[in-house]
Amino acid sequence: MGFGVSGATAIIFLGLLVGSVTLYTAADASFENVEEATGDRGERLLERRNVAINVTMAQFETNQGITLRVENTGSEPLSVNETTVLVNNSYRSTAGATVLGTSGTRTDLWLPGEVLEVTYDDQYAPTRLTVATAYGVAESTNVTVVS
Amino acid sequence: MADVSVPSLLLFIASIVIAAGVAGVLVDTVTGISGALDDRGADLSKEVRTDVEVISDEGTDVYDEGAGNLTVYVKNTGLRTVPSTVDAVDVLLDGRYQTSTSMYVVSGDDWAPGEVVQLSVTGLSLTTGDHHLTVIVDGDEEVFRFRHEA
Repeated sequence: MGFGVSGATAIIFLGLLVGSVTLYTAADASFENVEEATGDRGERLLERRNVAINVTMAQFETNQGITLRVENTGSEPLSVNETTVLVNNSYRSTAGATVLGTSGTRTDLWLPGEVLEVTYDDQYAPTRLTVATAYGVAESTNVTVVS
Repeated sequence: MADVSVPSLLLFIASIVIAAGVAGVLVDTVTGISGALDDRGADLSKEVRTDVEVISDEGTDVYDEGAGNLTVYVKNTGLRTVPSTVDAVDVLLDGRYQTSTSMYVVSGDDWAPGEVVQLSVTGLSLTTGDHHLTVIVDGDEEVFRFRHEA
C-alpha cells in the first residue's frame, strides 16, 4: 500500500513537472515573440515620427513633362526605391529618380536635407501629385502648369 | 502472507494506473494549452508587425463613375510581408462588405514593407456625396474618406 501511494504520487508529480515545463516554455516563447514585435513596432513608430517631407516643386511644362522635387525635411534617412509617386491617383515608378547633389551617383539613400527629383515625360498636365515614403508619411499637392 | 500480498499488489497496480491516467490527461491538456498559447503569440506578433496605409489622394477622384470602379493604392508600412491576395484583405465601403475586389502589387513581386498594391472594387454605383472605404489587413484597419461629385 505504501509503495502504491508513493509511486502514484511520484507519477502525478512527474506529470505536473512535465506540464509546468511545457507550459512555461510555451508562455516564455510566446511572450518573447510578442515583446520583440512590440519593440520593433515601437522603433518603427519612433522612426516614423522623425519622417517629414516637403514638396518643393510639382510642375508640368509642355514638351518637358512633369518635374517633381521633394525635400527630406525630417531627421530619418529615406529609401528612394520605397518612395511612391501617384500622378492623378495612378502609380508611377521612382526608378528614374535622382537625389540632387549626388553627382549622378546611383543611390537608394535619400538623406535629411536632400532633395529627390523625379521627372515623367507626360503629354498632358495632371492636377494632383502624391508622394509617399516607406513609412506612410505622404504629401499631396496641386500641379503648377508652366507653358 | 499471500492473502495480504495479492490485494496489496492489486491496489498498487490500480493506484499506479490511475495516477498514470491523471498525469497523462494533465500533460495532454497542458500540451493543448501550450499549443494554443504559442499560436496566439504568433498571431499577436503578426498583428503587431502589420501596418498598412491608404496613400491615395482624397483630392483626386478615386471613383470612376463610367466603369463603376473604385481604385486606391495601399502601402505596406509594417514590418512583414503581407500576402497580396484578396483573401488577406477585408474591404468595406460605407460599412458594407465588398466581395468584388481585386488587388495586385504594382511596385514589385511581393507585398513586402515599402511596396504598394492597387486595390480595386468593381461593380459599384455610388451616389454623389461623401463615402468611406475601410481596408482591414490582419487587424490593422485603415479608413479612407472621399467625396464623389457629379
